[in-house]
Amino acid sequence: MRWTNIDREEKHGLPEPDRLLLWKDLLLELRRRESLLAMFFFGALLLFIFHFALDVRPEKAADMAPGLLWLAVVFCGTLGLMQLFQAERENRCLEALLLSPIDRAVIFVSKVFFNLILMVMLEIVIFPLFWVLFNLTAWDRLPMIFLYGLLGTVGFCVVGTLFSALTLGARGREILLPLLLLPMLIPVVLATIRGIEIVLQAGDFSEALPWLHLLIGFDVIFSTAGILVFEWIVEP
Amino acid sequence: MQLEVRGLSKSYGFAWALRDIDLELHGGDSVALLGPNGAGKTTLLKALAGLLRPTSGEIRFNGTSLRQGSARLRSTIGLLSPNDHLYEKLTAEENLRLFFALYSRKEKNGDIRGALDAAGLADWSGEYVAALSSGMKCRLSIAKWLLLEPKLLLVDEPYGVLDGGGVDLLEDQLKNVCRSGGIVVMATHDVTRAAAFCSRAVILRRGKLVFDEAKRRPWESFYSAVDEYRPRGEAWPS
Repeated sequence: MRWTNIDREEKHGLPEPDRLLLWKDLLLELRRRESLLAMFFFGALLLFIFHFALDVRPEKAADMAPGLLWLAVVFCGTLGLMQLFQAERENRCLEALLLSPIDRAVIFVSKVFFNLILMVMLEIVIFPLFWVLFNLTAWDRLPMIFLYGLLGTVGFCVVGTLFSALTLGARGREILLPLLLLPMLIPVVLATIRGIEIVLQAGDFSEALPWLHLLIGFDVIFSTAGILVFEWIVEP
Repeated sequence: MQLEVRGLSKSYGFAWALRDIDLELHGGDSVALLGPNGAGKTTLLKALAGLLRPTSGEIRFNGTSLRQGSARLRSTIGLLSPNDHLYEKLTAEENLRLFFALYSRKEKNGDIRGALDAAGLADWSGEYVAALSSGMKCRLSIAKWLLLEPKLLLVDEPYGVLDGGGVDLLEDQLKNVCRSGGIVVMATHDVTRAAAFCSRAVILRRGKLVFDEAKRRPWESFYSAVDEYRPRGEAWPS
């Protein structure tokens, strides 16, 4: 993965700023390997601990598994959020981005997409592991489970990016970020867990629909709010 | 080109970093921004760059408020801060390419290679910024603003890390900005170089503007105003 790839891709003009920033973040992550490796390792570790410590029986798996899976996703994701603006903290690069003529919401959008890519990669690894460890067999309901998982992940990334930016200059950021973030995530975590649980248990999608609506509403509201307030959050 | 600062104040909690600053700068001005540590020089530069929201007052650039025309105006403002604003794990060339594209500039005739060459970094273009020395990072910042051609170039304490060739490169670039009708504001503690280079000097003390004069010869008022900031025993150039 090289910088010139993004230049070559845009044969008819300049790369859009959001794509350019996303490419930059992916390139930096590939070179630093700080977030993703830590997230993979921590996620797999948590699932193994849950599996061996809780001894979940097959008949109880559908009740407990969604909660345990999302606990792992949220903890690993929070670990990733600590590093999300790390490249911008070094050498005060965020200032350089704020000084440039791009719309400041573009910085937020590109970071959300970058965070989303990291989270999806994490889930691609830990989801099959979780499926195997907890002996889940509801193969026919996988698309619905993926839908709830994706909407929950989008909500996590949007709110997480916003709070990661909010705590950028704060002392004790590592403590402050989870303390502020986790209460805000309660609706999205609850809706995802309950939605997946209902789908796993009964496969009756109509019962799970209100949680789907809640997730969509949460994602739309916080995405819009993030785009609108990001400039105010990052400006000292 | 005109930069107007009216009643600019900035506070952090109960501490005032800037208090009631009034300034009017015109195209071609090269301004030395002086003062002891904590005087508010960097805060003023950041406010002029649009990186700080003033507590009160206004900054107008060619009659347009920095707040209202911010995105368009930002493309004409540069902040050269040695060692800062460069991604450590991108190469020197990649950093220039990133910012060149963010400023919506399309490369022609090997601009980027040319800027690296002019900054004496042609052989280090493929090195990560993390592997460059402080002086080379500063040269890379100079190359960046050489490419982006700002109309208002704000420079924060550049002399500390540059060697002789680097100082020449910097001052050539600053002169080019002024010659093309732009404005340069340079915060520095190197009073001797500042006196030689600038066309005007502004001194801050505890956030207040205490001296603002155009250069003249002899400039006794300037020498007496800055005498307290100079190291003991340092003589003025004859």
